[in-house]
Amino acid sequence: MSVRNPNMIKNHYWTWPIAIYLFLGGLGGGSLFLMMVFQFALGIPADIMAVGGFIALVCLGIGCFFLVFELGQPTVFLRVFLPPSKKGDVSGKSIIKWGAYLLSVSLIFGFLWFLAPFFAWLHGFTNWAWLLGYAGMTPFKDFCLILSGLTGFGVVVYTGVMLASNKSKVFWSTPLLPVLFTISALSTACALLSWCCGGWTSPTGPLALAYAELAHEILHTIDLVLVIAEIITIFIYVLMLAGAGNVRARQVAHRWLNSKLFWGGMVFGGLVIPFFLYLIPGAPSLYVAPFLILCGGCLLRFLVVLSDERRIIPGEDRFFERLPKGDEKFLNTWEKGENLY
Amino acid sequence: MTRYAMVMDQRRCIGCQSCTVACRTWNDLPMDIIYNPVVSTGVEGIYPDVRLTYTPLICMHCDTPPCVTCCPCGASIQEDDGIVWVDSAKCMGCKVCVNACPYGARDTSSMVPRLDEYVRKCTFCKDRVREGDDPYCVATCHQKARIFGDLDDPESKVSKLINGHETVRLFEELGTNPSVYYIPAKGGQA
Repeated sequence: MSVRNPNMIKNHYWTWPIAIYLFLGGLGGGSLFLMMVFQFALGIPADIMAVGGFIALVCLGIGCFFLVFELGQPTVFLRVFLPPSKKGDVSGKSIIKWGAYLLSVSLIFGFLWFLAPFFAWLHGFTNWAWLLGYAGMTPFKDFCLILSGLTGFGVVVYTGVMLASNKSKVFWSTPLLPVLFTISALSTACALLSWCCGGWTSPTGPLALAYAELAHEILHTIDLVLVIAEIITIFIYVLMLAGAGNVRARQVAHRWLNSKLFWGGMVFGGLVIPFFLYLIPGAPSLYVAPFLILCGGCLLRFLVVLSDERRIIPGEDRFFERLPKGDEKFLNTWEKGENLY
Repeated sequence: MTRYAMVMDQRRCIGCQSCTVACRTWNDLPMDIIYNPVVSTGVEGIYPDVRLTYTPLICMHCDTPPCVTCCPCGASIQEDDGIVWVDSAKCMGCKVCVNACPYGARDTSSMVPRLDEYVRKCTFCKDRVREGDDPYCVATCHQKARIFGDLDDPESKVSKLINGHETVRLFEELGTNPSVYYIPAKGGQA
């Protein structure tokens, strides 16, 4: 099947707001998940990452805004939460619906968890007893963190699954995409948390500082492993599609391989350079490497979302190439009832 | 039970685009939406054995439509008779179904107000069909290259054509079970 001018086929139904949403959703969900893991698996209190948790919640909130902004009818976005209306309505199987539920639960319970360290900090200024009362509700706090962490991980996985479930999209419909997005989301979450870790230690004192130092070390180590995993996954992903039987898939993969944005921005700027910077103590590993990881993660979402070419029906490219372009204004004016020409 | 299907007889299609224009007129479509283009890969073969084959496209009204299960609002509906359509009153314009359709049969118009975008697609002219008429593209095709009918009725024309000819369906490997069958032209031979 030859492709004459693939740009004539209408693509890019999802644009930059969805790319930002996928990045922020993965970042926020991944951060809440990692905080849960630190608290319950490693015994390091999540309170020392309260600032990171707050930023994660803000990211999820902004991500939701962009998701709604991209809708054709943003004002009726609550329809996504409606239960199936009648027998035979299969909307309950929709991945996007499950994603919306996961996102909402993660956001709400993450916020309820965040109130505890926030109230403990606020108590130092106000001395209101009820603030400390809420902050001391440990079982409830733990429940909120577990729920928000688990649903956060659901958000991380769902972003990739949602794209990969589109069988028509030659560059998305591979099981490697959810793997890549999950690794990237956890990597960016590590970068965010290590950036903010200890920035605001709710339980102050030497123990909290020691915890923060330990968390830094662990986050950097995890991120080093994740960066290596991401480099391997992304190369398998692109090279696999570069040799695929589908012409369109090969074209997109070769576009990636010939792109300066992919090599310079994503691979070197977003993965290789931060990997080596993580090995240098001080500012490079504390601030520069996490920042580059975040930029690389965001760039990955943009590159993937904008690689949404679907397989072409033979002759379709030829048809759309021959459609008149540039007459829209004339014809649209005619359609509005008043013949101005 | 009724199960609607369409047969595209590529031996008869001459690429006149009458169906394309008729559909746009009947459905009053915005200028940037085309439900049923008639496409061609151009002239094939070496003189004097040359041929030109046209492929009329339309929503495949798949038996297992990926565009229905992905819709989060229940706006994308598959009727018992197989017709797949979009209830614009329920659609919020997330475009997940547009991305899910392997045939590019769904679209949103950029010519409507920003807050009023919803997904549009061919409905097999279900209002006409329920009254016993053919879809407008079928009624318009003077070459009788588009044939519509009930696949579950062994006496219907579509059943006879599908059972009596070698037919192909687009992207069958994706498991969508399209309800649109093509009788290939085979270089001008019946």
